[in-house]
Amino acid sequence: MKIIIATLLFCGLGLVWTQKTDVTLNGVSQHKTLSKKPEFFALEWQEGLVLKNKPTPYFIEVETLGNQNVDILVTAQNRPVLYTVDICTPVCADGECRLMYLTLYWNLLGAYAGYDKVEGQTLTKHDHEEFLEQDYEKLHHLLMDDNSILKRKKIDELVEKPEDSELDGADAKAGATITEVKESVVDGALYSCYVAWNIAHGTIKGELQDYTTSNFDKEMKGYMLMSNEQDYQMYALKSLNDEEYIDYEDRIVQIFNKGIPLVRTYIVQNLPKLFWETEDLQMPFWESFAAVDINNRSLLLNHIQQAPVEVLVLLGGNLELMTKNQLKAYLAAIEKNEMANPQINAQLLRFTNSGNHTYAYIVAEFLEEFE
Amino acid sequence: MKYLILTLCFFSINLTISQDLLLEAESFDDKGGWVVDPQFIEQMGSSYLQAHGMGEPVQNAQTQVNFKKNGEYKVWVRTKNWVPGEWEAPGKFQIKVNSLVLENTLGLRSGWGWEYAGAVQITNKKNTLELVDLTGFNGRCDAIYFTTSDVEPPSSMNKLATWRKTVVMEPLAPKVTKKYDLVVVGGGIAGCAAAIAAAEQGLQVALIHDRPVLGGNASSEIRVHTLGIYGNFERILKKLDTEHYPNGSPEAHKDQIKRDNNVKSYDNISLYLNWRAYDAKAVESKISYVDARQTASGERIRFEAPLFVDSTGDGWIGFWAGAKFSYGRESVDQYGEEWKEHGELWSPKQPDNAVMGSSVLWRSYEADQLEEFPEVPWAMPVARDYAKVKGEWQWEFSRNDLNQIDDAEEIRDHMLRAIYGSFGNAKKLPENANRKLEWVSYLVGKRESRRLVGDYIFTLNDAKSGRSFPDGVVEETREVDVHYQTVLEDEKNPDFISEALFYKTPKYYIPYRSLYSKNISNLFMAGRNFSTSHVGLGGPRVMRTTGQMGAAVGFAASLCKKYDVNPRDIYTGYLDEYMDLIEKQKYIPIPESKK
Ligand SMILES: Cc1cc2nc3c(=O)[nH]c(=O)nc-3n(C[C@H](O)[C@H](O)[C@H](O)COP(=O)(O)OP(=O)(O)OC[C@H]3O[C@@H](n4cnc5c(N)ncnc54)[C@H](O)[C@@H]3O)c2cc1C
Repeated sequence: MKIIIATLLFCGLGLVWTQKTDVTLNGVSQHKTLSKKPEFFALEWQEGLVLKNKPTPYFIEVETLGNQNVDILVTAQNRPVLYTVDICTPVCADGECRLMYLTLYWNLLGAYAGYDKVEGQTLTKHDHEEFLEQDYEKLHHLLMDDNSILKRKKIDELVEKPEDSELDGADAKAGATITEVKESVVDGALYSCYVAWNIAHGTIKGELQDYTTSNFDKEMKGYMLMSNEQDYQMYALKSLNDEEYIDYEDRIVQIFNKGIPLVRTYIVQNLPKLFWETEDLQMPFWESFAAVDINNRSLLLNHIQQAPVEVLVLLGGNLELMTKNQLKAYLAAIEKNEMANPQINAQLLRFTNSGNHTYAYIVAEFLEEFE
Repeated sequence: MKYLILTLCFFSINLTISQDLLLEAESFDDKGGWVVDPQFIEQMGSSYLQAHGMGEPVQNAQTQVNFKKNGEYKVWVRTKNWVPGEWEAPGKFQIKVNSLVLENTLGLRSGWGWEYAGAVQITNKKNTLELVDLTGFNGRCDAIYFTTSDVEPPSSMNKLATWRKTVVMEPLAPKVTKKYDLVVVGGGIAGCAAAIAAAEQGLQVALIHDRPVLGGNASSEIRVHTLGIYGNFERILKKLDTEHYPNGSPEAHKDQIKRDNNVKSYDNISLYLNWRAYDAKAVESKISYVDARQTASGERIRFEAPLFVDSTGDGWIGFWAGAKFSYGRESVDQYGEEWKEHGELWSPKQPDNAVMGSSVLWRSYEADQLEEFPEVPWAMPVARDYAKVKGEWQWEFSRNDLNQIDDAEEIRDHMLRAIYGSFGNAKKLPENANRKLEWVSYLVGKRESRRLVGDYIFTLNDAKSGRSFPDGVVEETREVDVHYQTVLEDEKNPDFISEALFYKTPKYYIPYRSLYSKNISNLFMAGRNFSTSHVGLGGPRVMRTTGQMGAAVGFAASLCKKYDVNPRDIYTGYLDEYMDLIEKQKYIPIPESKK
């Protein structure tokens, strides 16, 4: 693969190397290992983990400096954990170029995972000042943002005067977005940040994900499902067939409880039909009603018309959590035939009589009309 | 002002005759600092008056009321506490009759309904009625009902509608009917452009708009700047668009004057400002009329025309007439709109009812002296610890239990809580001691709701591939950007902040077939309610693009009139002539004097 580094456009005649250039770029990396958590790292790291490098067919091509191989990092049992590259790339601004050294890491889906400084090499700013500790942190933060403003803009658009630029986002205004750039990049190191971001988020991302997909097996599926990384969870969930949903139900319920709203939504929206037809299978999800966010409560309630009476009773204890429309959905479900259920009735009365619930009036009106 | 005196009979053991009088608050003679809010009529039944004082009580609204009979009247007020909870209601007010302030404070009940204000002894025919705001935080008053009977008016929406009709004794149809060549409903940039294009071609046009100023989201009341390119319609759109100021900027006023003057300069555009359409009737899939009501006086007009444009943003005309529409996100496979990198955030495996959210823009300024801001405990559950002194486009709210139309009032109110709470937090910081709220819109700016279905449904793939169409009348180069709520990725984020995902595209085109209804034969649509998928809307929802849509349908309407045909026939039978007409718009016509 090939990365075109836009900054090279800026290395005109006045190109000057200000750092030594005699580094080995294609050094054999097979016997390298990673035995401690990368200095800047976005994932969980298991203490004692030792990963060894194995080659992949992928590389990052840096113009004028050739290909830089991407390795996969695997455990002693050969289980893939990360991808990595030792990158050396020129960063040029105003005709002056320096080399930037970084060891980058991606997770198994090609998402940026972190970086290490390369021994003996510091990152520098435009004025040759070295990065401070907070600058390294900021770079890490920037790299973690896969939707950074840097993604949509060419480097020359980022350095233009605000009034000429077309920096505005969806709804934003030029000047405001310039601030957004400033806020997200290391002060005085726009070019380094830009280059690093574009390598980390370049086409390599998709290639690494494809590589993982081609090696995806049951073991990796289980590993991803058990992981706390939301993109692993999502990827694994997307690979499940109906039987596996049942096999993995406990874990899926756990993710539904503790995961981020987006993953929960995927779960509730994609549970096989059988779950909604089987009381035992669906009950644990309803039991999570109080634990999940408002959006996911609504998605659960989309199934309330078919839910068994136990669910209606259970939710009767959660009326105070419901928004107005959720409450209406609940009342519509019990209206049919469950009004005779004494437990539900008691819950409705408890709720309306408590005197401090915003939407108590809705239940009160409902009871009134019912009588 | 309008009010009604009624004599209702209540049969009990003895026949008693009660005196009743219903006043719509929005029809007060002098509204003082209260504003007319007609945004939620379809949901809560009426326009209402709102005390939008940004924390400072507003001037009293006042009106004269004539009573036929003296006596003791019970006074009921239709209102609601817009943030019920374990705090003092934010929007409290009182009623004053002549010099007497009635005993009960109002704005306390959950959900719209009647609150008892107190009793008053009426001894003169002429009386003065006032609304006295106590808080400046969006107290609301829909109507005031004086009665000598002991019966409380009904609160539930169904019963209320019937009650209002009996009380007001309003005939079903408006008394006045007006006829035009083209009726355009909704005066956003799309509607204005449609009206101008049709008027320039000689049509008699009615433009019905529910606000005092034109431009919709681009107006000085909402203050979003216009993005997108002009396409073929630079001349027309320059009459309507805005400079590239930050959203929320008072610079919007300048463009407002330009826009209003330009539209008013057309003799054959009859402009109905402060008129809101409330019904459209289709017979055999053809709209015969649209009914509209003055938002303050309640006066009504029936508008008849052979052709209609729905540029309400919410697709109201289509909805009432029975046009096919969609709402929410299609499944990723329906039109193949996947963007792998952003997966479910971009387009979900299963269809759902998530849409881009609505916003309320706001700003504050540095005053020369210390400025106080009251405690707003009722806002804190929304704002939490978020602290800001202004809001841009990211202040956006969408949640899947809320419909952007049916629940628009709750959405707007959620944003008001977000704003007042975040500003309150910011005010606690020493650097903001002099900060004062300058402007908070009370109008909710929407991005997406109903999308009417046309003969063609525009999708991401049309944008991605830059597909050209024989009837490509709108063109755009702007990226497709779709928003999502950041709380979906992390529950710690405020639920009223969004993020945009940008998909870069080549120049793309929208076909004319996306601008008229598939099943209502004489209905055009222009603006964000055009025929598109959820992701497809991400690019062309901006207002120069929606303006292009408006202009394109305005010109199409002129050919419909010329040949006495429907919108679809222009595509099937008169496309060359239509496309020529569109193409010609690129060039500024040579003035007669120079020929
Ligand atoms: C915060 C925010 C930021 C945005 N940023 C940008 C941006 O930077 N640039 C950009 O170009 N776009 C932006 N957009 C998108 C754009 O403003 C919307 O897509 C806009 O709605 C499109 O214009 P429109 O004419 O279709 O609708 P609108 O502007 O909504 O106009 C429709 C009008 O019709 C009126 N109406 C509705 N129903 C009736 C009725 N029954 N009777 C009479 N009148 C009625 C409404 O009051 C409204 O004013 C933004 C939107 C928001 C909310």
